Amino acid sequence: MSHTRRDFLKAALETSALMSVGAGVPAWLSRSARAAASNDNAGDTILVVVQLAGGNDGLNTVVPYEDDVYHRNRPTLREVAEQVHKIDSLLGFHPQMQAFMRLYNEGHLSILHGVGYPRPSGDHAVAMRDWQTARPHQTNCQTGWLGRAADGVCGRGQTNVPAVFVGQIPRPLTLNAETAVVPSISSLRQCTLHTMPAPADGRAHQHRLAELARLPREQRRPTLRVGARSVPGEKDPLLDFVRRGSLEAYAGSQRVEAAARAQDSAGAAQYPPFQFARMLRIVAQLIRAELGIRIYYTELGGVEPGGFDNHANQRHNHGALLRQLSESVAAFVHDMKRDKLLDRVLLMTFSEFGRTVKENGRRGTGHGSAAPVFLAGGKLKGGQVGEHPNLTDLENGGQKFHTDFRRVYATALDRWLGFDSQSVLGDKFQPLDVLREHL
Amino acid sequence: MFAESLTHDPDWAWAPYEPDDRRPWDLRRVGHLYRRAGFGADWDQLQQALSDGPQRAVEKLLRGGPDAAAFNQTYDQYEASATGSGSADALRAWWLRRMIHTPHPLLEKMTLFWHDHFATSNGRVKNARLMHDHVRLLRSHALGRFEPLLEAVSHDPATLLSLDCQANRKAQPNENYARALMERFSMGPGHCGQQDVREAARAFTGWFVLRSRLRYIARDHDSGVKKVLGQEGDFEGKDVVRIVLARSATPRLLVRKIYRWLISEAAEPADALIEPLAGSLAEGYDVSKLVETMLRSNLFFSPAARRRRIKGPVEFALGVVRGLEGMVPTMQLGEDLAALGQDLYHPPTVKGWPGGRHWINHSTLIGRSNLAQALLAGAKPYGAKLDPLAVAEKHGHSDPQSAGRFLLDLFLQGDVQADVAEALLKTAAPADADPSRRLRRIAHAVVTLPEFQLA
Repeated sequence: MSHTRRDFLKAALETSALMSVGAGVPAWLSRSARAAASNDNAGDTILVVVQLAGGNDGLNTVVPYEDDVYHRNRPTLREVAEQVHKIDSLLGFHPQMQAFMRLYNEGHLSILHGVGYPRPSGDHAVAMRDWQTARPHQTNCQTGWLGRAADGVCGRGQTNVPAVFVGQIPRPLTLNAETAVVPSISSLRQCTLHTMPAPADGRAHQHRLAELARLPREQRRPTLRVGARSVPGEKDPLLDFVRRGSLEAYAGSQRVEAAARAQDSAGAAQYPPFQFARMLRIVAQLIRAELGIRIYYTELGGVEPGGFDNHANQRHNHGALLRQLSESVAAFVHDMKRDKLLDRVLLMTFSEFGRTVKENGRRGTGHGSAAPVFLAGGKLKGGQVGEHPNLTDLENGGQKFHTDFRRVYATALDRWLGFDSQSVLGDKFQPLDVLREHL
Repeated sequence: MFAESLTHDPDWAWAPYEPDDRRPWDLRRVGHLYRRAGFGADWDQLQQALSDGPQRAVEKLLRGGPDAAAFNQTYDQYEASATGSGSADALRAWWLRRMIHTPHPLLEKMTLFWHDHFATSNGRVKNARLMHDHVRLLRSHALGRFEPLLEAVSHDPATLLSLDCQANRKAQPNENYARALMERFSMGPGHCGQQDVREAARAFTGWFVLRSRLRYIARDHDSGVKKVLGQEGDFEGKDVVRIVLARSATPRLLVRKIYRWLISEAAEPADALIEPLAGSLAEGYDVSKLVETMLRSNLFFSPAARRRRIKGPVEFALGVVRGLEGMVPTMQLGEDLAALGQDLYHPPTVKGWPGGRHWINHSTLIGRSNLAQALLAGAKPYGAKLDPLAVAEKHGHSDPQSAGRFLLDLFLQGDVQADVAEALLKTAAPADADPSRRLRRIAHAVVTLPEFQLA
């Protein structure tokens, strides 16, 4: 049986006015809801944005291992040719990023060089705010770019959640919206309905539901019959709206439970033992549950100033973070690929700035400017985009940008999600040609 | 907007409701009154109002209990000492506690309205003491007059910080407050030009917030002549307030907003319905008189207003808590309500909480059900202070069947179809040897009904 969500809801609302999420919608209703919803959401593209807080040292992430200027400026922090994972004759991934090397070779990773913006700020809070709002220098901007995107898709009568934050820090400004309520999720449990304490022999209740499920439809009706005048539609639009939402919420909860069960069984995808990987795993499970969420936002590095901010003894800490980043993203990509979902997913990483080319006296680096952005997904052209910014023509000690980060956002909005980037970003930014197929 | 259009005769609409055979004073109307003029009621309050009749019931809600002033003073002191920590979490918890216990729930409901209207957020202010002062300010005028409220807000440090207007100097006028004043707090968008905003900003120059204190620096005030909305003079901030209050767009905006808050958000009311109230409000800006007119009116007690709002998270949770005559840890509640989209002291943007349909999405519906489960399950983190069985028994319903029906009456007052009620009582919690557990499940099923999400 295949029918659209609209058909299903119309049928469901005509047969049952009882939508108490707590009492539980009968099994047959929720099965239909499950089937209908996966038909509707199939094909929806998904954007996953990973915030790296602190200012990621792009120069040691994608290393110009043949460049003398690099080696001279970084006596203790430089990575050498023998240690890096070579991308080409000039650049290589940091030694701890072999997972990204593998993704790159599989064509699932793109490197966007020199991403930044004009007159950048070297202050963590200001720079991060600029990237999160996509309105640099507008100190009074109260919404984030993804919050605005979420507001844009909150159409009339829609009860879908357009975007979620998956993480444990306070929800970042990026997702601050005027009208959409964007949830913060740190465990799947928040996405499922918690049941009230029931007698140990709760099977009696389950049997009832199963019985209801087995009865031919006509016989089910009397139990849940709706009064003559209560056919929903124009009579009570507010109530209908909430009923519809309740039904879909119930069905969504069931699907999340099913996705979680599948994950627990043998043969489920493996993730490395990092906190960040756990968050990406939650993202994967929510994607699998086909809830209609288009935007996922997660983070590595925590709150301001952020774990990537290495002013001293950078080597070990940065290496550890890069390992977490690359292994977790790779696990996520392979998880999606196994379930044939990767073609619908685009992941991007960003950080509020790069670092200075020259290391400081404390085996660390200062705040820079431009840095690389990584894209991962199933529909990428792969490879590198743009020139690696040279190390002699600098701005405030850091590399200069050539690609405005809002072009990356526009690419994701226009070409991947099918949203209107101009209304979200406040201006037209030319998307980048990074996708094999796009809208 | 939904298709429903409101074309009532204004004279009928705003005339006081008087019960008759067709529109009796019943539990449904009482429940409706308490949901709108407060955060819901317990059984005793419902019964008392039923016996009082509409005039007395509304009167009590307008005035509040005799100890309301002392109550609020005490809570002000609790809050003041809670601001030491710097975070607004404790403030949030105290306000919820106040809403639950207050002898004057209408005052809290209107304070919440003004908090949304001015949308000052601790996310930008980052100072619990200033936020405490701000909400105290709102409360002191919530059922008073709008002119002193607007004047006070214009010189409120938290508001200025929230709008990034903590420095407004002659050499570089800061338009942020002036724009908010004209486009959000009074006339609304589209009633003035950029030039008016610029000139109004000049009138407010000289005001600063320095080290969390309001300061006036005379040499930074532009004392020249300004032209605002067709008027000319060496205006100061309070003159601009006076000017915007004299524009007819201002009372209209306020009446429409308070209409949405108290009467219905399902349909935009016709101008003809708004005009008489706007005209009245323009004379003296007596908010309490406007609220009284609305709460006493035919329209308010008609089907056009009943269940025509969607409860915000605070109304949803407090309806459960007040109905069950209990208390819950409000630090936890504050956090849980923030997750549902209503973080007290933190409106998401200058536009406040849009409310209405925007409260409802799959995640918030699951969240409401899970919050209700946490409140009613009798375990951590909310404990067992909400006890449906104890409440049912207190009001004479120890038989399981009648206890279930009692809960339906307590929470829905009959605003649910008979067959839905029957089906719920049958399927929500079949035979259970533990009557307390059974009734908790029924309570949970009732408060997660779509009907209960409507105010």
